[in-house]
Amino acid sequence: MAFNSLTYLAFLVAVAVLYWLLPARMRRALVIVASVAFYASWNVMFLWMPLCVAAVVFVCGKSIQANAVAGKRWLWAGIGSLLALLVVFKYSSFVIANLGHVGLTLKGASFSTVSALAFPVGISFYTFEAIAYLVDVRQGRVKMPGFVDLCLFFFFWPNILSGPIVRARELMPQLKLDKTFEPRFVFEGADRIVWGLVQKNVIANVLGIWVDRGFEASPGVALSTVDGWFLAIAFGMQIYFDFAGYTNLAIGTARLIGVTLPENFRQPYHAASPADFWNRWHMTLSRWIRDYLFFPINAKWKGAPLPLYVSLIAVMALVGVWHGAGWGFVLWGAMHGVYLAAYRMYENLQGGSGGAKDSGISSAVWRIVTLVAVIVAWVPFRAPSVAKAGAILGAMFTRMTWRAEYGALFYAVTLLVALFCAIEPLLTRALVELDDEFAGSGLSMFRVVVRPVAYLFGLTLFLLFDQSYSQFIYSQF
Amino acid sequence: MLPDSETIRNAARAAASELTGRSIKDNQKLVSSGLIDSLAVLKLISLLEKKLNIAIPPETLQPEDFDDVALIVETVERVGQAEK
Repeated sequence: MAFNSLTYLAFLVAVAVLYWLLPARMRRALVIVASVAFYASWNVMFLWMPLCVAAVVFVCGKSIQANAVAGKRWLWAGIGSLLALLVVFKYSSFVIANLGHVGLTLKGASFSTVSALAFPVGISFYTFEAIAYLVDVRQGRVKMPGFVDLCLFFFFWPNILSGPIVRARELMPQLKLDKTFEPRFVFEGADRIVWGLVQKNVIANVLGIWVDRGFEASPGVALSTVDGWFLAIAFGMQIYFDFAGYTNLAIGTARLIGVTLPENFRQPYHAASPADFWNRWHMTLSRWIRDYLFFPINAKWKGAPLPLYVSLIAVMALVGVWHGAGWGFVLWGAMHGVYLAAYRMYENLQGGSGGAKDSGISSAVWRIVTLVAVIVAWVPFRAPSVAKAGAILGAMFTRMTWRAEYGALFYAVTLLVALFCAIEPLLTRALVELDDEFAGSGLSMFRVVVRPVAYLFGLTLFLLFDQSYSQFIYSQF
Repeated sequence: MLPDSETIRNAARAAASELTGRSIKDNQKLVSSGLIDSLAVLKLISLLEKKLNIAIPPETLQPEDFDDVALIVETVERVGQAEK
């Protein structure tokens, strides 16, 4: 049941209506049933996976809490078990294939002949939530709840598929689900849901048709420089609107039942530096990496330059691996690691504080360099192989040819979407001011008339652009 | 023995101001507002250690433990160790 399907919208309306009709004491049961049904709709065979993750966190978390001395061992046992599950179900075929490539065999059979294991959706996301849970228990930030509460946390359907990656201390208190109904929950939820549907079906999917054609073309088809750059930009736009669309649907879904999930995007292509990009792109993953990986590693060396640069590249390569089992993801992550290390080197040379902001020309230069660097890094992320990524990057940087092989519509739509991204902060501010103005003047016209018309328009677009090509990119991670 | 709360508060204000180059109010968010990042938090910890002559073991800390002056005081009182 994909978020951008009529089946899901019917499911959502039914659950939300029932949720507010039921007495508060019965809502948790409804949300558990709805969450399990939602996850089962993807693959009923994997229902045990979030349950198993909850069980690991429950057993290890209780032991960490009960015994401070043995707590460290239980923490590592828990993290090890969670990572083992992730590796087996997400990376085994990648490891096996690579061992096969170097000619290793197991009991006489080539590793490459071993079939790939199926993949439980959302495993990367809820595994990270589970690790964070255990660390937070060890650090005394959260108390262990009962097993049912823990299951509700890990199965919670609005964010189980692809995040946002939540921390126990921000979601657990809300899962009492005892709020009184307020009309703003409906407006705030519907705003995000309708906009998410438009972002996914109208913008991301349309760009995706051209992007797929370009990236999946046979290696013999040489791209021109113009087409290489347009393809990279088009994919940069597609993945942003795809993932931001998914996130809006997740946040909007939770909002309909009065729950607030953390934001994941803040106009990432307006980043002032590579470090700022990661404060704006997939913010809940960045926060996780910062709190549970990057900060503890660098705290040991007090932020000394060499360990900092090495850890930036290594951690970002791991972020790439987290996205998927493939060398293109590793390359994408390592490229971002190099960008971040280069920026930190520049900051050190400038005597920067790690918090100081540039101004003037260097600020403008960093903005442009960041945007170009991010777009370039999307090539290995999307390309079906490293060889194909190399061919596209070659077309972009080394073999200068100016043919335009696509129809005019591709270039026009890509430029239009890029322009929309450029003015997105202005549009967002204008909408917020408009809403505040109507709310402040006591007029409810914006909420009662303008919003429903906008919803109708958005839903019409969603239906007009509805197609089988509808999987969210991040649901594969 | 650790310094008293007021001394820690003054040191926190001074360290945060030194890092950001502006005067910092007690309720001003430092990390969640993007005013300082995780690397700057490590520098903040070093500055606090020097100013207060204490050790702050970072193993059990997260950047948001330093999100405002009050949190910094609470964190230092929780994990800070007086230098011998």
